[in-house]
Amino acid sequence: METLFERYRNLVVLLAMLLLQIVGLAVQVHRGDSGHMSLDPHDSKGVRLIRLWANAIVSPPERLFHSAGTSTSWLWQNYFDLRHVRDENKDLQKNLDRLRLEQAALLEDARQGQRLQALLNFQEKYIYKTQAAQIIGTSGSDQSRLFYIDKGADSKLERDMAVITADGIVGKVREVYPRSAQVLVINDQSSGAGVILETTRIRGILRGNALGQPQIVGLMVDSRIQPGERVLTAGGDEIFPRGLPVGVVEKVVRDPDQDGFIRVVVKPAAHLDRLDEVLVITSVEPRFPPEQTQDMATSEALKGGEVAEEKAQKKASEIMAERLPGLIDPSLPPDQQPLNDTSNPNPVTHPPMPLHPDRFTPGTDMSTGQSVTGGDVTSKTAPDENAAKKPATPPSKSETKPPSKPESKSANPPGKAPAKPDKDATPQRNP
Amino acid sequence: MSVLTADSRRDLEIHRYPVLIYGLVPLVALVLQAWLPRLLGKYAWFDLPLVVTVYFALGRRSPIQGTIMGCAVGLFEDALTHHAIGINGIAKTICGFMAASVGIRIDVENKIIRVGLIFLLSLLSSALYIFVNRFLLGLALETDWFAELYKALGNSAIALVAFPFLDRFQLRD
Repeated sequence: METLFERYRNLVVLLAMLLLQIVGLAVQVHRGDSGHMSLDPHDSKGVRLIRLWANAIVSPPERLFHSAGTSTSWLWQNYFDLRHVRDENKDLQKNLDRLRLEQAALLEDARQGQRLQALLNFQEKYIYKTQAAQIIGTSGSDQSRLFYIDKGADSKLERDMAVITADGIVGKVREVYPRSAQVLVINDQSSGAGVILETTRIRGILRGNALGQPQIVGLMVDSRIQPGERVLTAGGDEIFPRGLPVGVVEKVVRDPDQDGFIRVVVKPAAHLDRLDEVLVITSVEPRFPPEQTQDMATSEALKGGEVAEEKAQKKASEIMAERLPGLIDPSLPPDQQPLNDTSNPNPVTHPPMPLHPDRFTPGTDMSTGQSVTGGDVTSKTAPDENAAKKPATPPSKSETKPPSKPESKSANPPGKAPAKPDKDATPQRNP
Repeated sequence: MSVLTADSRRDLEIHRYPVLIYGLVPLVALVLQAWLPRLLGKYAWFDLPLVVTVYFALGRRSPIQGTIMGCAVGLFEDALTHHAIGINGIAKTICGFMAASVGIRIDVENKIIRVGLIFLLSLLSSALYIFVNRFLLGLALETDWFAELYKALGNSAIALVAFPFLDRFQLRD
């Protein structure tokens, strides 16, 4: 008699296989704090083992294909395509020399930028330690935008290291195997990178969409965001250093899932579809190549020369200052030194007395037109001058007084010739 | 479309291959699937493991073998992605089962039928993949249905060339 299992053998096997896989999926997915289901960013040991096996099986043939492709390309470029290479080499050498000069100038600017950053307590560095790697394969699925590189734990790569090119950021290391690593590209739907718009300084999170375009999500409607604006890394995700180019704004579209929000579609700076080599940032400590180190040493030496020159100039200026007139007069006793003079070095100068004073003249009595203190003032300021200018006028009381002795010490310091009147009555400071 | 009974087709037209082919061809398909998108970029509109799964399921005409083949290939594909392992597995398990079940009943030697079948199964695979992601796992995943359509067309085109090529490895009595 045919049993139920034998009769529905095909269906039973199918259901058993499906059930096993569903249970396996349930183990891998968990509910997040926000209530949404999500995958664990780091695989469990069992899952990682499966991925490791799959990678170990696929990577060698991929390396073989990659090597074969590279060899073919090398053969073509070095055997069939050698025409005019000598001229090109000369041009390139000229370009190299020019670029080295520009690099030296830029290096100095970079050092200045670093000093300013240090002053502002920025923790960013200008140059990072990187590891070059070649791409040997992909996930094979457009729902999972990642690729494999030919460097792994043997090259000291670790998870969550940033992957870049000279054009811009590419992604981050998601999983590391002994001789290869998995890189999650920024246009994958599960990726995330903190970015900032260069002009408007609006921050957001960059992730991919179904079409493989990176986009900034979770932004409120803002008319300032325009196509063409540059997008940089914000540095807040602790993966990508701050200020690396991400791309430019391609278009702004409304978020279909959230009213009042927009999505900023970004055209990536790096050619994500045509990548061959990438750089993995393994350290944020600055490390300069030997040529730049030599340039920096030369710069330091030149800077040392400038400092020595500044010191010599300072010393010469001090010697000159000692020789110039000062506040100490060696010929005078200490109590008569100009340094101890407390009088006003710039005495108030008064206008000359009018030839025909009336009742409106300052210092006269309004009712009588008699001068009240004018004699004192006159005598203090310009006794000789007044005496010379007013012999014809009727002498007033004040004018009949003899010229008083100048009270200011500075006007007539002891042991000195009488001070000049008015503007010349400044203290003399002789060496 | 000629329709035969299941037993008669199974007895008459079960394709047999060297054991090495069963392991090597899926492996080559998986490696190419992982390597070719690097060259073709976003224009890699094909799913070679699915094509191979459907081919063997149709040739062997055994739903169990088609199920196991689809499951193995799908899990392998999942292992190369960063998604949960089992999403592609479920999709290709069902596709392998369906292909074998259909292969018993219809004449799959006809090229038009092959192309039409691989086109429909490609769409089914994509739909199952999205279903598992969205409804079974509750993951937010956007889908570009045009890309899935192009992929189905690409699979059909590849099947036109690959199926006759793979038929050369059959063991003849």
